[in-house]
Amino acid sequence: MLVRDCMKREVTSIRPTVTIRQAAALIVERHVGLLPVVDEHERLIGVVRLHDLMSLELPDFVNLFPEVDFVHDFGAVETTRPEPELLQRQATTLMEPAISAEEDCGLLRAYALMLHHSLLDLPVVTSDQKLVGLASRVDIGVAILSTWQTSDSPS
Amino acid sequence: MIINGLISGLLFLVSLWLIFSEKLNRTIAAFLGAALMLGLGKLLGFYSEVEALSSIDFNTLGLLLGMMILVALLEPTGLFEYLAVWASRLSRGNPVRLLVLLGTITTVLSMFLDNVTTVVLVAPVTILMGEILGINPMPFLMAEALLSNTGGVATLVGDPPNVLIASAAGFSFVDFLTHSFPIVLVVWLAALLLLRYLFRKELSVQPSNPEALQGLDLSETLTDRVTAFRVLVVLACALLGFLLHGLLEMSPAFIALSAAAGALIWVQPNPSEVLKRVEWSVLAFFAALFVMVGGLEATGVLDALARLAKAAVSATPVLSGVALIWLVAGISAMVDNVPVTIALIPVIEGLASGGVNVNPFWWALVFGAGFGGNGTIVGSTANIVVAGLSERTRTPITSRQWNRRGLPVMLTTCAVASLLYVLFFPLFIR
Repeated sequence: MLVRDCMKREVTSIRPTVTIRQAAALIVERHVGLLPVVDEHERLIGVVRLHDLMSLELPDFVNLFPEVDFVHDFGAVETTRPEPELLQRQATTLMEPAISAEEDCGLLRAYALMLHHSLLDLPVVTSDQKLVGLASRVDIGVAILSTWQTSDSPS
Repeated sequence: MIINGLISGLLFLVSLWLIFSEKLNRTIAAFLGAALMLGLGKLLGFYSEVEALSSIDFNTLGLLLGMMILVALLEPTGLFEYLAVWASRLSRGNPVRLLVLLGTITTVLSMFLDNVTTVVLVAPVTILMGEILGINPMPFLMAEALLSNTGGVATLVGDPPNVLIASAAGFSFVDFLTHSFPIVLVVWLAALLLLRYLFRKELSVQPSNPEALQGLDLSETLTDRVTAFRVLVVLACALLGFLLHGLLEMSPAFIALSAAAGALIWVQPNPSEVLKRVEWSVLAFFAALFVMVGGLEATGVLDALARLAKAAVSATPVLSGVALIWLVAGISAMVDNVPVTIALIPVIEGLASGGVNVNPFWWALVFGAGFGGNGTIVGSTANIVVAGLSERTRTPITSRQWNRRGLPVMLTTCAVASLLYVLFFPLFIR
């Protein structure tokens, strides 16, 4: 089985002109974890992840500690919202380079890519980089595990 | 002879330029310079392998290595975080009290341990507290770097230039306590008061939720109590050894390395993990600089410089000392103070062999190299580290901000130190 057989074909993507606030609204509306950014030819140029938007809420300082268990109360961090002007910036300021797989990529290679780059969703593209789908870890994992139920499995 | 001097001088200057301009990583640049110096020295017959090896000050390297191993053992125990959290809870969210407490803790730690490690471990807790209280952590971060640079001047082991100077001049740990510590105490207080004034606006913002700091669990920060205790006991023994090293006729390097051995035996950690945290690149950088300066010495460049300076310094020792403080501070503000110190040591040694009493100049070098680093954001590694960490907050520290606060601190500390230096000049002759 290939990644094209288990990916979602209906993908919510954004253009580079979208603001951070608009991108956040789309993520809320569609309940997704990642927005592929495409150019006018539907070619994938990057991704804006929920994680990237969250970095505006929770600055990177948390990663300075091996663990944060000793902080029982996050105090003002809990209530500090990003500045409105920050949200008016283009979402591409938070864009990450896209790690994608082509349609005919094997499932385990796709899964390994996601593990290696700590991705939860993997954009799927054609050979000329056109966005055609999105596969989550669950999509790929379910497709792989479903083969365990075939007739040659021990009963 | 003159040609050799010119060649080695030029090579040294080019290497320094590479180090200071950051065109090349400083350790790589120093290695390149050392290799070329020895290569040319052998070719032209002014420098040999034996001379190069003997120009490396193993007392400095041994002392630094020993202390680095102790710090490497202490680092993962959470002791530094424990102290910072303890201070923040004690401050009950009052910004001025927080500044004083955090500044004091980083200073005391950096008097005995490496400044950079101290700042690397205390700054994250500072940022965390700023975020929890909803206040800008910048004043606290800058104060930590500035005060730890200042405090490090007080002791033999507080700052690498002190180690270098002590080794060259034969100063003991006690010499630093009697000559440098009292001066630093006054200078440090002046710096603290100045910081209180410079940050008066930021520090007047009272956090609305000071009680949130009590939600920081002290016991959970100290993750390895047993190791922390053992290393602290060893460190205390090492300090006692430093205090008595004149009496015991032991070198500081021997004491530090014995302490490291003792701690390693008592803690029995995974040695490769511990040695990974030792800053080998710093030690290699020092060794390479020693080899380069050894080449300069061999060609007589430094003697020539010393002869030039001799007339001036013998006529006006006090003025020359003060001038040296400011000259070294000015250079150290813009570049790393270690190469400056290593380059100036043989010059002062040259003066000494010319019959000048150079003790006041050693101390001027200590003060200049120590306090100069406060001036700019690149003046000391602690500054660079703090600024780098602040980039992970909502309010990164910019170079301009540093100049507005750090430069006044540098000028004040140098001025106060110069004043005390002049007033107590007879003390520094001995």
